[in-house]
Amino acid sequence: MNKHIITLSLLFVCPLFSTVTALLPLGGGWVGASERTILIGPKTIGAGWKDNVVIKAEQFAGVQVGDIITVYNDRAKGNAQGAFQDPKDWKGIAQEYGYFGIAGPFRMTVTEEILPKLKERGVAIGGHDYRILKVTHTPAADIVEKTVWRGPAKLMKDDWSVYADVEASAFKDLHVGDGLRFHVSRVQPGAAIKLCDFTYNALDASVNGAPVGGDAFTYYVTAPATIVQLTQLKNAEGISMRVSGKGYRLDKIGIVQQVGGVDEDETTAQRCPPEYILGPGELFRGEKEFPMDWSGNLRITAEAFQECTENDCLVISYRPLSNSPRGGEDSLSSGDKDDTALRPSPQRGERGEGLVLSLREQRKWHDLTGAEEPVWYDLDGSDLVYMLDNPVALDNIKTKGFVLTGRGFVLTKIELVKVQ
Amino acid sequence: MLSAVCCIALACSTPAAENAEAAPQTDDQTPATENPSGVSTRISSKLVNPHATAEAVKVYDVLRRLYGKKALSGTVAHVNWNIKEAENVHAWTGKWPVINVFDYIQIWASKDVNPKGWLDYRNVDDAVNWWKEGGIVGCMWHWNVKANNGSDMTCTPGTEPSQTSFSPARAIEEGTAENRQLLKDLDQVAGYLVLLQKQGIPVLWRPLHEAAGNSTEYEGGKAWFWWGADGPEVYVKLWRLMYDRFVNHHKLNNLIWIWNSQMNDPEWYPGDEYVDIVGRDNYYALQYPLMKEFRQLTQEYPTKLITLAECGNGDEVKMSKWSKIWAEGSRWSWFMTWYDYDYNEGRKDAADHQFANPEWWQDAWQSGVVVDREEMKGLLK
Repeated sequence: MNKHIITLSLLFVCPLFSTVTALLPLGGGWVGASERTILIGPKTIGAGWKDNVVIKAEQFAGVQVGDIITVYNDRAKGNAQGAFQDPKDWKGIAQEYGYFGIAGPFRMTVTEEILPKLKERGVAIGGHDYRILKVTHTPAADIVEKTVWRGPAKLMKDDWSVYADVEASAFKDLHVGDGLRFHVSRVQPGAAIKLCDFTYNALDASVNGAPVGGDAFTYYVTAPATIVQLTQLKNAEGISMRVSGKGYRLDKIGIVQQVGGVDEDETTAQRCPPEYILGPGELFRGEKEFPMDWSGNLRITAEAFQECTENDCLVISYRPLSNSPRGGEDSLSSGDKDDTALRPSPQRGERGEGLVLSLREQRKWHDLTGAEEPVWYDLDGSDLVYMLDNPVALDNIKTKGFVLTGRGFVLTKIELVKVQ
Repeated sequence: MLSAVCCIALACSTPAAENAEAAPQTDDQTPATENPSGVSTRISSKLVNPHATAEAVKVYDVLRRLYGKKALSGTVAHVNWNIKEAENVHAWTGKWPVINVFDYIQIWASKDVNPKGWLDYRNVDDAVNWWKEGGIVGCMWHWNVKANNGSDMTCTPGTEPSQTSFSPARAIEEGTAENRQLLKDLDQVAGYLVLLQKQGIPVLWRPLHEAAGNSTEYEGGKAWFWWGADGPEVYVKLWRLMYDRFVNHHKLNNLIWIWNSQMNDPEWYPGDEYVDIVGRDNYYALQYPLMKEFRQLTQEYPTKLITLAECGNGDEVKMSKWSKIWAEGSRWSWFMTWYDYDYNEGRKDAADHQFANPEWWQDAWQSGVVVDREEMKGLLK
């Protein structure tokens, strides 16, 4: 903490100082204040809440309360939503981060509640209908805040009837990239905030009833038009913003600005697996880890199987995970195996100690063949060929698709193949 | 405003016999179709309401005649009371769907009961014009009640401030506050439906939909609308209460009653004497599972037409083309695609329509097994 204070004071003397100090690693974190990239995309977050990327805990070793995690993104559709989720249960890492609208980069402020989760499990970034470009970490010391509205505090009732009026003069120092931090208290479950112009219309869709939790909600200004809106469009009383919502008390509003530089060194950043365009017959292509702790699974919908027959099969390709029992072997490339080796021996109900895989029914979690006990396939390096000649399995896969689960491997491809 | 309220109140308290002449319904039990494709041959030839209007009987007869041979096309209104989605389809393809379904989702905001309201359910011009052009009018009801926070309106049961604890079990109990609210709402909607009856317009009436939610789908599943929150027994009583209130008290004889199955939920079925058509809503609308569901419903309700009351792309899958759905063996009486709020707000292209885009509709028309409004006009003559 003291180091941060020193760094901040030196910023006024030497603007380049933060960039210089940011290159000096210390322990698990970084000395100095500058925005550091922790995840490099792109990672497409498609429709239907199916996609996410987990940023591993090691990226948060130096994170402290008050730090900011920023997700830069593009290709956001009008209805896109973001989420910061706890990989433990896929719920919001805090109430206000379960889902929210997207308008430009979105951010999470690290709180006392969030910090231990980040350090233990990392965070999953999900939602739908946008693409992650990169994720950064900005230390709290890199952020300065100036209070521009001090109340009197407004208690937002459940009927959305209370408004806090803010004069345009409060925003005279606001710039694109700055955040408006709304400090809140007495936050109820389901609390939400609405930021309006003086005519009571929401500033944009992302703040038309956004979830509120913790002790603050921060709205980042991403467009010059918003600056014009807040500084020049006002009523006769000089009011340009009305803050509403329900289930919280608004105590004060500040403008937060990032005063540090940007750390250009990306060598420690986590990288998203390459995104592939699926070829004909491909149901999955990429790198999906199935760790030894059984936490990996992949759902495939029924869409691709609508015209399947008992003559068709799935070909599943993989390589061992580096820390799995056979992780050091490099003989598991599957392209040169003869056909007799293509079907690993199944084991019913016993998942053994090695690398295994099974195909399950959606939701019920029974084996795809309908059996309550799953069939585990030992992974010996050969592609797994799964014939759809079991009528129950065929019916299940055409009706609901399937879930692939297992451990100790990296899934690289699933193909649907018509066998002549 | 006051006079408007009185008008509706009058309509609600006075049995509306005008233009509600009952049509003769014979006891004809002959098959409606020759079973060309797996549809039931035992479809009831009569509507459950013996006093059904001639127009309602006519529409039902056309549905029976087409059943198994062709499907009617349908769209839902944008949120409440309009033909916006049908206009979209027409703009994309040059053809109008047959069925336009309106929604009484915001009756509290109707100008006859709320001076600050933003719509007026007494204005039935869109429905009248639709019927005149050869279309069929459908109505559904996302029956919103006060949320627990006392201000919002919602259908979602639960204890959160934004949800409702409104209990259907209490609501069907005579003398309770919930019962008074229930009857007030029923009478308000009956008043609007009477306006359609007076214009000679039959209505495909689909209330209290998706009642079982996913309670029968997997352990831990539950109802997602308040009308299903107290289980099937209460729900069936609620359905029958509505039927009695509308048919016997308000003399609403222009309604064709459609009940929604959530699959494997026979205990939620109100009974053969209260239901004309069985519907299914499906947003995992792939040809194979749809075929299975159609066959299952046909077996379970052999005297009822089976319809795909709502459909479209889902969160996980894109809906199969109608030509594929039909080829797989489904013979739904009609389909109805949902609207896309963001598209209608100009926030996306037509190709990205959330539920059914122009390409999907083009395929439907080109399949040769989908009836449009123009064709229906001839059939209804």
